[in-house]
Parts: sequence; structure tokens; C-alpha cells
Amino acid sequence: MILDLHLHSELSDDSRAPVEAYLKLLRRRHGERPLDGIVLTEHRQFDLRRDYRALEDQYGFLILTAAEVETDYGHVLVYGVNEDILGRFDFTNVRLPAQEVIGEVDRLGGVALPCHPGRPTVGLCSHYASKPALEGVVAVEALNGGSKKGEDERVQELIRRYGYGAYGGSDSHLVSFVGICATEFDTAIRTIDDLVGALKGGGYRPVDFRHRRAA
Amino acid sequence: MPLDLDPSILGQEFDRAEYGPVTAEELIAFARALGETDPRYTAAGPDLVGHPTFCVRYKGKKFYPENLPKNINVRSGFDAGKDLELGVPVRPGDTITVRSTAHEIYEKTGRTGSMYFVVIRFTMTNQRGETLAVVDNRFMHR
Repeated sequence: MILDLHLHSELSDDSRAPVEAYLKLLRRRHGERPLDGIVLTEHRQFDLRRDYRALEDQYGFLILTAAEVETDYGHVLVYGVNEDILGRFDFTNVRLPAQEVIGEVDRLGGVALPCHPGRPTVGLCSHYASKPALEGVVAVEALNGGSKKGEDERVQELIRRYGYGAYGGSDSHLVSFVGICATEFDTAIRTIDDLVGALKGGGYRPVDFRHRRAA
Repeated sequence: MPLDLDPSILGQEFDRAEYGPVTAEELIAFARALGETDPRYTAAGPDLVGHPTFCVRYKGKKFYPENLPKNINVRSGFDAGKDLELGVPVRPGDTITVRSTAHEIYEKTGRTGSMYFVVIRFTMTNQRGETLAVVDNRFMHR
């Protein structure tokens, strides 16, 4: 099962991509990007009321929701957001304490994974150069569709050194980028709880479809 | 540095400006300058209306409210885009009122560090009180 674990829709301030447009593109280019679903990770927000079931039924893709938050160790994706997590952290705070986010999100039933760790300023690698390593990191985003040259390469050293798991996401803010990087799971995922369980349990890897992109 | 924001400034009108009356010649010249050929926007007559983006030429007289957080350096920054929600079209003879409010002020972090965003909302109405457009102007500052 292949999911794009990191993308933004028009609900994020820096994206104008409608969710339905993502699905239309994935359906049209299924041979190039054979995804089964997407996980929307809007910036600094999470709305428990969002419901994409009608689009799931119409297009046949799994649509899950998560959030991208900003911390003192860079950006982190939070999967399995629930009322307890929203009550514990103010997602609009761009200086959330990463160690608390990782530990508390885990305790409250989710999982928090650093994203684009090779990116300057907002990636884990930059912060590890001057601060102690975080405890409890399950996996890092080893492939990010928005990475510049060298940024994903930096992550490989991080993974080797700390033994982190690896996942991938497109970090798409534009329709045409959806699914160019994703994560392949060994198990079927149907719900956000399935996803959290799989991310914590292992049995997944980043996959790169950029080389297949139509010119 | 965290934003020292007084939330009460959000949504408060800080400027009101009036323009018009709009002429048919202005509407046609604007549409033609865009390369528009649709006669709804380019042919004088009773059916003439303004091109949907015509409202973008109007703005408030005052750029920002007085009491923005002090750590936002308003002397340097750039236009970070606009969102337009269109209402009824502009017609010849309309007078246009532009009301300005600070809609959103927030901070985010990126490759190059912290950025502060200020979203100024222009609510544009005609002389009948109908909404012509709501334009959210996003500006980025360090």
C-alpha cells in the first residue's frame, strides 16, 4: 500500500491546491504514481471536523488528515491528532518544544515524525549540529519532494547514525507534485489509527516516483 | 522573536476609501490591457461589466493599521500574493468603497528563518451596498 504522507491543500496558507484536484491527477497518472491514498498535513492547524469521505468514495483513494507543526528542532508531522493532542499543544505556536511534542503525542495516541530533516533551519540535521539528539524519534522523512539538491542526501547520514526509520512524502503545495515521493507499507491501512500503528511498528519505506514524471 | 500581537486589532476597520464613479471607458481599457476579447468586458453598452480582476486596481489609502507588532519590520518585505472572492460585477457608474481590516497576522518558519505575514483584507462594495469583492492581500516581512 502506497501513501503520500506529506502534502498541503488550500487550507494551508501557502498552497492553492484543492484536494479534489490532487485526486484527479492521481487517478489520471496512476501508472506513473501508483498511490492508494494521501495524508493531508496542513500547516499549524488541525480541524477534527474535516471529512473527506465523499471524495474517498468518488475517487477511490484513502484520504487521511494530519498536521505539520513547527518546533525548536524544525518541522514535525503529527499523525493521529485527537482532542487530547489539540488540548495539549497550540499548533499555531511556531516554537513548540520538539521533545515534548514527540513524547506527548506518542503518549496521547499519535506519532510525531520530523519532516525534511535535511532542510536548513527547519530540519533536524541543522539542529543536531548544536543541540542534543531527540529521544523517541521513530522515523524521519528520508525523501521529500520539495528538497533541494543535497538535502535528502544529508538525511541518509542521520538515519545511519541514529537508526531512524525512513518515510517519504511529496510535501506538495501544487497539484502536479502530488505523490512524487511517498511511503510503501507492508500492511493495509484503512484508518488513521492503522497508519499510526504502522508508523510506530515498522514495515515501510520511502518510494521515489520523480524519475517517472512525465516531461 | 515571538509576535507581540494585540488580537483586538484583527478585524477592525482601519481605513475607508471611496472611488468612482467608474466609467465604461475605464472598464474596457482595463479588460483590453489584459488581452481580454470577451464582449461582456470590452463592448460598450448596457451589458458591459468589469473584468473580474478589475477590483484589484483599488486599494485603501492607508497601508497598515497603526498598532502592528513592533517586531515586524514593515520597511522591508514583499507582496506574498492575493486571494480574491468575487461578488457582483462592477458596472459603469458604480462608486466603490474599500474598507480595510487587518485580517490575519502570523509567524511561520522556513529555510531562511522566521517570517511574519500580515494579511490586509479589502472589502469592496458598491453604492447599493452589494459586495464587489473581498481581497486578501498577503505581505511577508522579517
